[in-house]
Amino acid sequence: MSSDQFLQIENVLFTIAMAGYLAAMVLYALFLVFRKDVFGIWAGHITAAAFAVHTAALVTRTIGAGRLPLSNQYEFATSFAWGICACFLIFLWKYRFRALGAFVTPVIFIVIAYAAMQSKEVRELMPALRSNWLVLHVSSAIISYGAFGVSFAVSLMFLIRGKMSGSTFWQEHVPEEKRLDLISYRAVSLGFLFLTFVMVSGAIWAERAWGSYWSWDPKETWSLITWIIYAIYLHLRISKGWKGKSAAIFAVIGFICVIFTYIGVNIFLPGIHSYA
Amino acid sequence: MKKTLRAVFSMRTALILLGILVIACVAGSVIPQGEEAAWYMSAYSRQAAGAILALGLDDVFHCPWFIALAVFLCLNLLGCNLVRFPQLFRQFKEGFTPERFLKARGKGEAVTACTDPEALFAACGFRNVHKTVVQAADGAQTDTPCIYAVKNKAGIWGAWVCHLGMLIVILGFGLGQMLQVQYAVYGVPGQTKQVGDTDYTLTIDDFTVELREDDTVEQYTAAITMTDTRTGETQSGETSVNHPATLFGMRCYQNSTGWAADIRVYKDEELIQEEVLCAGETMDIEDAEGLSLAFSAFYPDYEQGPDGMPRTASGKLNNPGYLYRLFYQGEMLGMNVLMEKEAITVDAYTIIFTDPQSYTLIQIKRDPFTWLAGIGAALVMAGLFLAFYLRTAELCALRGADGSWQVMGYSRKGGEEFAGMVREKREELEAEKTSHGKEKGEAGDEQ
Repeated sequence: MSSDQFLQIENVLFTIAMAGYLAAMVLYALFLVFRKDVFGIWAGHITAAAFAVHTAALVTRTIGAGRLPLSNQYEFATSFAWGICACFLIFLWKYRFRALGAFVTPVIFIVIAYAAMQSKEVRELMPALRSNWLVLHVSSAIISYGAFGVSFAVSLMFLIRGKMSGSTFWQEHVPEEKRLDLISYRAVSLGFLFLTFVMVSGAIWAERAWGSYWSWDPKETWSLITWIIYAIYLHLRISKGWKGKSAAIFAVIGFICVIFTYIGVNIFLPGIHSYA
Repeated sequence: MKKTLRAVFSMRTALILLGILVIACVAGSVIPQGEEAAWYMSAYSRQAAGAILALGLDDVFHCPWFIALAVFLCLNLLGCNLVRFPQLFRQFKEGFTPERFLKARGKGEAVTACTDPEALFAACGFRNVHKTVVQAADGAQTDTPCIYAVKNKAGIWGAWVCHLGMLIVILGFGLGQMLQVQYAVYGVPGQTKQVGDTDYTLTIDDFTVELREDDTVEQYTAAITMTDTRTGETQSGETSVNHPATLFGMRCYQNSTGWAADIRVYKDEELIQEEVLCAGETMDIEDAEGLSLAFSAFYPDYEQGPDGMPRTASGKLNNPGYLYRLFYQGEMLGMNVLMEKEAITVDAYTIIFTDPQSYTLIQIKRDPFTWLAGIGAALVMAGLFLAFYLRTAELCALRGADGSWQVMGYSRKGGEEFAGMVREKREELEAEKTSHGKEKGEAGDEQ
């Protein structure tokens, strides 16, 4: 098969995955509205299936492009959505509560819809992007952003759960606040570790490509801002016992910074990361 | 004094400093940096521009208050680590004993009861089990049999190592900014140029631009030789994008490229001057005082765009066009695009452009503290891993008067999760034991 045929297949798989995430999002919403388990069960199955198709789409693009799909807005956005879904499925498997999907799938859908709006053209990489450090840098960013996405969704659940204390459905399907708080913390810890690696690997790559490991480029500066926001969150939590609502609000703010670092900086503050 | 130092080293101060750092970073990314004062005057209102210039927000990351902020943060990190080191060291060396565990957490920490604590400890991943006899904290019993174990002791160092790493990163970066030297040398193969104000020269031996089938660039590679003019010693290497060369301890980066051409000046058909000029450079015609030539742009495959402006149809040298400007005593005489084999004639002088070729710009840098920042970054990563994924946990079982064991556990981060895990393991062990007992019973019945 030619690379063009692989890319055509990727296009179809991507569309199916996006439709799958949309369907899962709707079913999760129905699960919350009508409070029937059957919607939640099907939503979970469809999310897993969409994730499998999405994985296949990324594999076919890798084959079609002859490299990992991590080098432009479309590729990073689709990988970012994949990363959030992967983290969601891991947390779902570990902590086993279905309602999490109702908050994560909209984030996945928004990110993959953003990807769909970008150019899917496969371009050869400019010499600076031909580095193994790029693969490490962007792959770790996908995991990091995915984990922060999950912490954002869990924190939203935390904030909403407090207002739904009278609902038996919420009591049954959403873990108690203490547990939500812990899950959010676990997700932030994972995201923070990987975000640190994103910055370190990016610095090593920049040093080799441009001779400067840190140059206060807007993307670098905003990833530092995000890193500091989460560092403050962790310090307040570990040392000052800052938990509950305040921590949840902080995790939401952190994810807004993540989104600004990823999308906002490209739109409003272009620098040497403009291709990202 | 002690109070002041405690305040400087406190977590509260650290959080305030981090908050200010966030604000500074936002300002530094939103406000364009390094422009002239007049630019801010025209881009912002008078008051806003005045505030930006007065607060140094036009160059946030190099202004004195930002540097002071970084120094303060370093002091805070240093103080915090100095204060915590003896405590952590003592805890690491002597803190993990059943006596200390019971003293600190003797009451209200019961996780579960069990009959086979050793199996439970093994199931929970505790290997070096310490059996002893202790006095229970409630004082109700004396000489109580006790089993104690600790795992991931190194985890207590996580935050400390991470802070040390951050301190080293900031120090490495700051020292590097102060002491690094950086030069740029550009030219075409065969040219030798002085490296800034050093005693070294750089010769560009070769420069190749590797193209793909679709004309996009695969790689830029320059073969270079650096010479120490004091000793005559030379070192050679090849530098390409992402693969810098190191010559005489200086890193040489293939930074960028452009076009250059051979400029020949004739007077009455006699060659009087010949120079290689890079696009963007200007040269004086030595024989004609006040006459100068600027090589403004180069179009390897020249054509006129629909708007009448010059442009290049491809990156290939199919139809070279040279955009030049000619000046006399600073006044522009004219500008045009000169094609190959065409000439500019001014009085007795004839100027031609020929032999277009790619020039390379090599960035030469020596940062004596990059390694320090690298060590710091590695420590930050290691510290975070220790803090988040090597969580120190203790398990202690005390035998009651009736022979049953009461198990207590503690994990600094995620204590409830840890207690839950211990209970789960106990249930698994009991289930295993029950099914094993049943199997044995069935086997006995069959016999």
